[in-house]
Amino acid sequence: MSATATAPRSSPPANEVQLAGDMRLLLSGNHAVSYGAMRARPQVVPIYPITPQTPIAEKISDLQLAGDFDVDLMTAESEHSAMSACITASLTGVRVFTATASQGLFLMHEMLHYASGARAPIVMVNVNRTIGSPWGFWPDQTDSLAQRDTGWIQYYTENGQESLDTVIQAFKVAEEVLLPAMVVHEAFYVSHALEPVTVPSQERVDAYLPPFDPVHKLDTEIGESWGNVVNQDMFYRHRKDLGTAMNQVLEVSVRADAEYADMMGRGYGILEKYRTEDADMLIVAFGAMVGTARVAVDMLRAAGKAVGLLKIKLFRPFPVEAVRAAVAGVPRLVVMERNFSPGGGGVLHQELKAALYGMPDPPAVHGYLAGVGGVNVSPKKMVELAEKALTDEPVPDSVWQR
Amino acid sequence: MLQLRIQGRGGQGAQLAGEVLATAFFQEGKYVQAYSTYGGARRGTPVSTFIRVDDDPVRERCDIEEPDAIICFDPSLLSPALLTGVTAKTVLLVNSVRGPEEFADLGDLRVATIDALTIARGNGLGRIVNSTLLGAFARVVGAPDLDVLVEVIRQVSPRKVDENMKSTRDGYELVRMREGAPR
Repeated sequence: MSATATAPRSSPPANEVQLAGDMRLLLSGNHAVSYGAMRARPQVVPIYPITPQTPIAEKISDLQLAGDFDVDLMTAESEHSAMSACITASLTGVRVFTATASQGLFLMHEMLHYASGARAPIVMVNVNRTIGSPWGFWPDQTDSLAQRDTGWIQYYTENGQESLDTVIQAFKVAEEVLLPAMVVHEAFYVSHALEPVTVPSQERVDAYLPPFDPVHKLDTEIGESWGNVVNQDMFYRHRKDLGTAMNQVLEVSVRADAEYADMMGRGYGILEKYRTEDADMLIVAFGAMVGTARVAVDMLRAAGKAVGLLKIKLFRPFPVEAVRAAVAGVPRLVVMERNFSPGGGGVLHQELKAALYGMPDPPAVHGYLAGVGGVNVSPKKMVELAEKALTDEPVPDSVWQR
Repeated sequence: MLQLRIQGRGGQGAQLAGEVLATAFFQEGKYVQAYSTYGGARRGTPVSTFIRVDDDPVRERCDIEEPDAIICFDPSLLSPALLTGVTAKTVLLVNSVRGPEEFADLGDLRVATIDALTIARGNGLGRIVNSTLLGAFARVVGAPDLDVLVEVIRQVSPRKVDENMKSTRDGYELVRMREGAPR
């Protein structure tokens, strides 16, 4: 389908920012990621295919073959090996990109911790897919949320354009704080959805994202190394430094996004408030359900219900202060999410409650497990759930809602 | 917003048909969102493609529950599940040798049929019916423009380009339509 993917439209729509040198293409979310990666100019891409991530690897290979993407594309024998190669390559001081999903992410798990410990600013896209067993290919965020303690920055995006833009931004942030970053979008609804996407010009992305040039790098001429045994004190200090770097991500992310918006005409923030004025309640969501929630909020507002939306884009580090500021004065929140941690509930619900603990006059929080396993959540369904949340008394646990 | 579902089986070209339609609407300057779901990329398993077309950006990310039109590649896929959410305004285009009146028992909706297999075979395409069905679709829905669609078919046909372009135009000419029963 390369012919379809590269067919230009007749003219850009009036309400889209289109700058000189931009390409307007019809791309799937996954192919948008490949174009974003190409613009960021990683020198090494170690990768292993897995449904529904595979089109990312395929398109990178297409772009390489076409001579558009000068990259060492390494096809590893497993995701564990792919991540191992990412870390090694990154520590030599080159820019590294990869992508995976679900079981592949789990096979990488050990090396995800290793990557953040090694302060390797790899950027990886994860396509959210249900985790086995049983087997499935549906959108569900549990795979990436299970990696929340690995020391990776995590961004959740709602469409292919945002994924493309966030891949480029993620390199900027990751390389400044020296932590790996994961950009996460959902199977099918985003990964396989063909949509009009703007690919920014190479010239402007180059101006935004200078070549990666770390102070320390593995080089046989220099003779540095990484991975020695350390004592308790050094380990303690190293973990504390990692936490400091993670805390810097909040400010660096906001700045990287603002710069991007200035140069490319599109910005997202680390979270977004949508129609929150005088709201009695906010829907809190992340990932693909955000787009659906926008429509639901419009329907609720049209029906005279003061309901808004809080989109969480940056999930690790969790933007506690920004979230508190966004919900201050709102009496009620309802989380609608597509993931489940058995014994814990919805992961965003947990994180949100923890973030609000100790806040003066905190909002009441409902946690709704909607869309787990990829079950369909329409705008109409969200309206129905929001109306229920407006009258029901919140309970501490997340509640299954279908 | 125009919302469409395409129902086919792996290997029939239903997913590609969705991409072609999305491309045609995109080239007409519309916002589109098109995606497919399938249980692993295997031949013969049902593949559903969803397409939304609008003048404004498409924001919702969910299945289409109330389609304006359905393209059904194979009458064996005409299950009650496929037809949930249809209204008297929904256009159902079925690949079948039978006339639309023979699908009256499906209820209150607008049925169109096209004998896409005979047309495709006659044009040397064997069992590849997607270009014929797309031509029929353009006629019964009134969009996308037939010339835009045929041009996209020309761009994306991996081979037998002229045969696919002719099948698209034949589908447009030969589709048979039955209006919904009066209420």
